[in-house]
Amino acid sequence: MHSPIAPAAPDPSLTSVQRETLNALLNMIVPRTADGRMPGAAEMPELVRHLAEAFPALRELLDTLDCDARARYSAAFAALDAARRVSLLEEVRARNPKALDQLALETVTGYYQQDRVLEGLGLEARPPYPKGYQVEPGDLSLLNPVIARGTIYRDIS
Amino acid sequence: MNEPVDVLIIGAGASGAAFAWSMADTRMRILCLDQGDWMNPSDYPSTRRDWELRAESDFSPDPNVRRRPQDYPINDAASPISILNFNGVGGGTILYAAHFPRLHPSDFKARSLDGVADDWPISYRTLEPFYAVNDHHMGVAGLAGDPAYPPHQPPLPPVPLGRVGETMARGFNRLDWHWWPSDIAIATREHEGRAACLNLGPCKTGCAQGAKGSVDITYWPVAMRAGVKLKTHCRVREILVDDDDRATGVIYYDGEGREQLQRAEVVVLACNGIGTPRLLLNSTSARFPDGLANRSGLVGKNLMLHPWTSVRGVFDEQLDSHLGPQAVCILSQQFYESDPSRGFVRGYNLQVTRGFGPVTTARSGLASGAIPWGRDHHDAFARHFGRTIGVGVCCEDLPEECNTVTLDPALTDSDGIPAPRITYRLGENTARMIQHGVARATEALQAAGAREILENPVPMRATGWHQLGTARMGTDPERSVVNEWGRSHDVKNLFIVDGSVFVTSGGVNPTPTIQALALYVADSMKQRLANLFD
Repeated sequence: MHSPIAPAAPDPSLTSVQRETLNALLNMIVPRTADGRMPGAAEMPELVRHLAEAFPALRELLDTLDCDARARYSAAFAALDAARRVSLLEEVRARNPKALDQLALETVTGYYQQDRVLEGLGLEARPPYPKGYQVEPGDLSLLNPVIARGTIYRDIS
Repeated sequence: MNEPVDVLIIGAGASGAAFAWSMADTRMRILCLDQGDWMNPSDYPSTRRDWELRAESDFSPDPNVRRRPQDYPINDAASPISILNFNGVGGGTILYAAHFPRLHPSDFKARSLDGVADDWPISYRTLEPFYAVNDHHMGVAGLAGDPAYPPHQPPLPPVPLGRVGETMARGFNRLDWHWWPSDIAIATREHEGRAACLNLGPCKTGCAQGAKGSVDITYWPVAMRAGVKLKTHCRVREILVDDDDRATGVIYYDGEGREQLQRAEVVVLACNGIGTPRLLLNSTSARFPDGLANRSGLVGKNLMLHPWTSVRGVFDEQLDSHLGPQAVCILSQQFYESDPSRGFVRGYNLQVTRGFGPVTTARSGLASGAIPWGRDHHDAFARHFGRTIGVGVCCEDLPEECNTVTLDPALTDSDGIPAPRITYRLGENTARMIQHGVARATEALQAAGAREILENPVPMRATGWHQLGTARMGTDPERSVVNEWGRSHDVKNLFIVDGSVFVTSGGVNPTPTIQALALYVADSMKQRLANLFD
């Protein structure tokens, strides 16, 4: 059984509004699948903490989104419906495409290293070494027509 | 004062290691200096969960990204292809894919056969016995009988095709094109004390299993048991020369940054196609104001890089393409030999490569737009992950004097030694060739059943692994830097054994040829010990 969506653990370096904005944003970037097999990006506290540390422009981006939301709709970004969030994001992206694209890149980078995500993909959550993997040897009889066509190098002897 | 030695090798990578091993049986005093250190396989990324990301930081093949203390910067801003390497015991073999195809007989006769570039002063037959010795020491897996080559027998069975190899094999067969399991320096079973490959996958960030043939675990342990000395953290600044045009030794900086003098009877350069011209150009004197061994003016010229790109195909069926050694599992040499009706001379090979891990799949998909973020992210990821095959196009590069390694007027390494500057552009023949290759790679993927084709830049930037031709071999001192057995025309106790001496590049990965050349030069020296400097 997959656990229900849980908010990210509080990050002391973010304000509560910034945390709520970030949760909303992360679940737009990588949402939870309908069947619950794949979690949403905001469900993983490690990822949220990683972003807060690794993405210097995060706070400014979150503040911009929330400020724009309040100015346009008199509501916090996290309180908007999906259509309004998307509309605001497109505006912010038009003004500063690098920031959102970088956040998305950092998000998927962290997301696909999480145990729950790897297990959702049917993979073992472990490094390659020392167990390694099995790869099918393959059918070398497929070479028969190649062999039948004969030599193709220039024999200059 | 360091004890003088008989033979001083600079660089402990692919060529320096093979050369040292071969020379060890002379019982001469042999010393190798390397600016890097020994690697610890337990530190390799495949032992950690963040293994995919380390290829973009401390295990990046780009020294300008990796920036380890032993690395030197390279100004490659004036090149569409960035320079890749590794500095340490093992050199580039630490991070290479271990793809191990030989040159072909026709590669040594480009002028005679196709009217371009120059012929080598040696032939495939000259190197053939050294290829075989090297295949054994490096532990080459493959399959005898490839109709694209003269007969040879790889010592180990081939790496698994997997579903990736089988799928592309069927595609090539539908087109009646050549393909074959590629020679690859990976121990597919226990070999000379090395454990068998476990299909870890990320060969290009070092092999924690020790199955990949990197020379720190192949040649060096044997050479050192036979008496060769290897000193790490020694960065050579210049080669010294006397009034008789003889090299007398080198000045280097040790690990503490102290200047050291090392005298030697013979100096051997094994620093790759960038490091070797850099060191020669940094070794100026009254006798050699334009750089040591450079009376031809060709040191640093004729740089060849094997322009490369990759076309990726996305398939409907699950191929587990993220599993298996990263290097080529099969390759097609259908377009390797010259056919002027194609609009270019010489040729290329098509290299079938595996897919990416999950992080790289997501990152590259996001960057290209193939895997968006948002509502459709998971479906798009599932359509690509494990279902993507790459077909690389590896092109022969012809020598052109305008493609150069020079010294940067401002950039230096941490010891203040001027850094190399690369000036390079694709020649017209190569540009036509790579476009032809992109079309054929696409055709092969579609014949194999790909439903979506993803193209990359042409050429791809971070592909400058193969640095060749910058101190070319030849019989004419005015048209070459070293003679037909690797000795400098100008300095008769100075030898070069790395990829700098290539006359033409061929269209395949050069490491087996570089090592065969190093073994051949060592053998030539051993046969001439009585009159080596005549």
